[in-house]
Amino acid sequence: MSVLKYVLRRSLYLIPVFFGITLLVFTIERLAGDPVQLYTTLNPHINEAQRQALRHYLGLDQPIQNQYFTWLSELFTLNLGYSYSSGLVSTLLAQKVWATLELQLIGLALSLVIAIPIGIQSARKRYSLLDVTITNSSLIGTSIPVFFLGVAFILIFGYYLHWFPSGGFQSTIPSQYPYGNVVLDQLWHLVLPSAVYALALLAPVVLLVRSSMLEVLRQDFILAARASGLNERTVIYKHALRNALIPIVTYVGLYFGGLLAGAPVTETVFNWPGIGAQFVVSTTQLDFPVIQAIVVLITLMTLIANLITDVTYAYIDPRIRLE
Amino acid sequence: MYTDPILRVEGLRTHFYTFAGVVKAVDGVGLYVNKGETLGLVGESGSGKTVTAQSIMRIVPTPGKIVEGTIEFKGKDLLGLTEAEMRQIRGKEIAYVPQDPTTTLDPVYTVGDQLTEVIMKHQHVSKRYALNKAIELLRSVEIADPHIRINQYPHELSGGTKQRIAIARALSCEPSLILADEPTTALDVTIQAQILDLLKALKEKFNIAMVLITHDMGIVADTCDRVTVFYAGQVCETGTAEQVFEKPKHPYTEALLSSVPSLALRKQKLSVIPGNVPNLIQPPSGCRFHPRCSYAKQVCVDKDPELESIGDGRLVHCHRWKELDLKSAVAS
Amino acid sequence: MTTTLARKKSESSRGVSQWALAWRRLKKNKVAIAGLGVVGLFALFAAFDGWPFVLTRNDHGLFAIYPPECIPPACAGGSLSTNAPPSLSHPFGTDSYGYDVYSEIVYGTRAAFVIGLGATGFALAIAVSIGLAAGYFGGWLDNLLMRLTEVFLVIPFFLLLLVFLQIIIKFSPSATGGLWLVVFIIGAFSWPGAARIIRGEVLRVREFEYIAASRQIGASANRILFRHLFPNVLHIIIVLATLQIAASVLTEAAVSFLGFGAPNSYTWGQLMNIAASYINQAWWAITFPAIFLTLFVMGFNLLGNGLRDALDPRLRE
Repeated sequence: MSVLKYVLRRSLYLIPVFFGITLLVFTIERLAGDPVQLYTTLNPHINEAQRQALRHYLGLDQPIQNQYFTWLSELFTLNLGYSYSSGLVSTLLAQKVWATLELQLIGLALSLVIAIPIGIQSARKRYSLLDVTITNSSLIGTSIPVFFLGVAFILIFGYYLHWFPSGGFQSTIPSQYPYGNVVLDQLWHLVLPSAVYALALLAPVVLLVRSSMLEVLRQDFILAARASGLNERTVIYKHALRNALIPIVTYVGLYFGGLLAGAPVTETVFNWPGIGAQFVVSTTQLDFPVIQAIVVLITLMTLIANLITDVTYAYIDPRIRLE
Repeated sequence: MYTDPILRVEGLRTHFYTFAGVVKAVDGVGLYVNKGETLGLVGESGSGKTVTAQSIMRIVPTPGKIVEGTIEFKGKDLLGLTEAEMRQIRGKEIAYVPQDPTTTLDPVYTVGDQLTEVIMKHQHVSKRYALNKAIELLRSVEIADPHIRINQYPHELSGGTKQRIAIARALSCEPSLILADEPTTALDVTIQAQILDLLKALKEKFNIAMVLITHDMGIVADTCDRVTVFYAGQVCETGTAEQVFEKPKHPYTEALLSSVPSLALRKQKLSVIPGNVPNLIQPPSGCRFHPRCSYAKQVCVDKDPELESIGDGRLVHCHRWKELDLKSAVAS
Repeated sequence: MTTTLARKKSESSRGVSQWALAWRRLKKNKVAIAGLGVVGLFALFAAFDGWPFVLTRNDHGLFAIYPPECIPPACAGGSLSTNAPPSLSHPFGTDSYGYDVYSEIVYGTRAAFVIGLGATGFALAIAVSIGLAAGYFGGWLDNLLMRLTEVFLVIPFFLLLLVFLQIIIKFSPSATGGLWLVVFIIGAFSWPGAARIIRGEVLRVREFEYIAASRQIGASANRILFRHLFPNVLHIIIVLATLQIAASVLTEAAVSFLGFGAPNSYTWGQLMNIAASYINQAWWAITFPAIFLTLFVMGFNLLGNGLRDALDPRLRE
């Protein structure tokens, strides 16, 4: 069947999954206890009557299933509710969502652009010094915690070398913009965080590209392609790579979801104003509407990433479309 | 019958440098193929037939390397050519049909894509021309509805069809020599016969020389003009099919022929060659067959024999060929 | 000639167990052995209080305090020993509380093992049950369990982890109690990936003929499950366990680094969290825990990957 039909089928499938997740998030949160209680526990000035009033105001005295459905319907109208401390959730998060997406996508793109050629070269020159170096450094690289990498980079490139700003999205004072240009300033701030992001994903992807390519290069059709007199370039990039990409796409898709979930860490380290950093702040305050909204947003992003992965996968490999 | 060799191989040595040691997969192979004839390469699995074919085309996979030898094709020394020059030969003058049809086609591209890319590479024609040519080719290998097949993917086709396509790809640029590596081993018996007939017909029609690798003596008898027997990376003997079948000159050939089950031998026990296929990292000294040879003498343990030409186009690799009077179990 | 032939024959007919074969293959993988070595060293470290690198206290100042204490005069209010750079008496320096970083790291090794083994044990207990059940029984059970797994896989569990921890730690801050809670929660969210892989293995092994043969003889489902299926998926469980230990420790470090960890639990992540604000003055306080964390995770990762290659039933090359 065509790629389009496959996509539609997979999207339909996502809907129950999405509902399942909202249910799960909601349940977990409510299991944590009464939000009002948790939020106001340390504040001695609030008495029980006021708490009751607060509960009523927030709709927390409704039966639990009503609360769930109210929340769901609000979600669909993109009404994310009111944060306990910062006003409308949607305004709070609007800019930040873009910041997070920017970092994630650029980091991902950077990582792939670097990792794939390295992995291919490593596979082509198996056992050579280049290959051994790359493989071993990647093995080490998969174990370095992202946040330490971030901190180290900030220290070295930010504080000691002063090459890049040590955090933030944009310089606070316009006079600090390089060449007086806002866009350049943002790019300048983007370098370090996206480099760290890219590096975090780099090692596992390089290893995966390498092993996938090695697997494919052993196949008969590669031998047959060479035997037909095709250029080495054609053999590697047209035939081998496309076949090798199949497991890579799957893996990157999965990993990306994980990376997205790790946004709180990277964004905190770099003071990047995204929903990850916001999440950390809101969790410390137990600001539930914001927490809920961010979890749902990130889940949605993960689901969309999965969908894109599936689509790419079906596009690359015609055998999948049969299922 | 030693007419006009289109391919001549002498003293070929191809070794694989692995972690476990150096595997001497091909160690002193010599053979020749005349224009328009079919040469069968027979031998057990691992005897070096495929590696020889790969060496001829210089597509031996790493960690293999051609260490020594001469490979002369139409007068040119193939081992002296650059990679770019070799690419002009591969697929165009010499074509290769690999063993397993289920894996010789790239699963993510259509049949049409894979055929046209070869055609366009060698003939510098437009995609439309190549596509038409491809459809013609499919027709010539007896595939029904070629215009539909051309847009299908390999996984949608049967093994027999895939093998026909592989053959079509090999023929696409009108080569003078085809190396067919066990083209029927992976197929059903009924399809086997069809493919062999197809190969024979195409060969006649286009007067292509063919090297047919197989371990099935029946196929050799049926399709090959001449035959070269392989053992443990070396050639045992070469001759016309009749010569080798009627009067084998090498003990291994004799043993091979007598191990072929046949109705005529119904009353006798099925004979088996004693021993195991030798380790190619540390092959036996002298003649590699000596541990399993019933005629082995001390000279066979000490010295590796020469591949001698003994007249009539025959080559033998044995110290004792003059003395031995070998019987063929399948002589008529 | 015949004697060598005879000897070779008898050698090949002596059976070698799968585990011995796997061990031999593992030994050839130098990287994996390095990982094993690192893991072993850490185990010794944790079990024997920093052995073999324990320095004993003496009056000339060489010491490593275990468990970490505040060393005067820092505790007396002076700042002499806080954020002190590496020296003979404090090989990795001291942190902002005046504690010897080296002894904190040693203490953290124990915590790392607790986290790794605890979370992994818990996660795998769930994953194995679900994977085995789904793979073996199939049908609606399989479907249900797999849907559940998929939902869990999409959830950004790290985020929920933070929320949980914030709530719970706020109300029950006892040291080990807090750590076990973290372990429990990490384990509770780590099972889906492993369950899916185990189920895949069960599906693969299930088709083996001897399983069908057992069924025909009339063996009960239980017997088949435990005596036949389980040993065959054991190899993948071992690999998953090793890798999960690394992942769990890394996750806890991230959580603690952000400040959500169990208070006073001396995990490496905690150390890094405390040291982060003083990074300019005392880079050693954050760097050394990070290095140890990396080594620990790397050791298990390398070992796990090596095990995966060695135990691969398809015996490549």
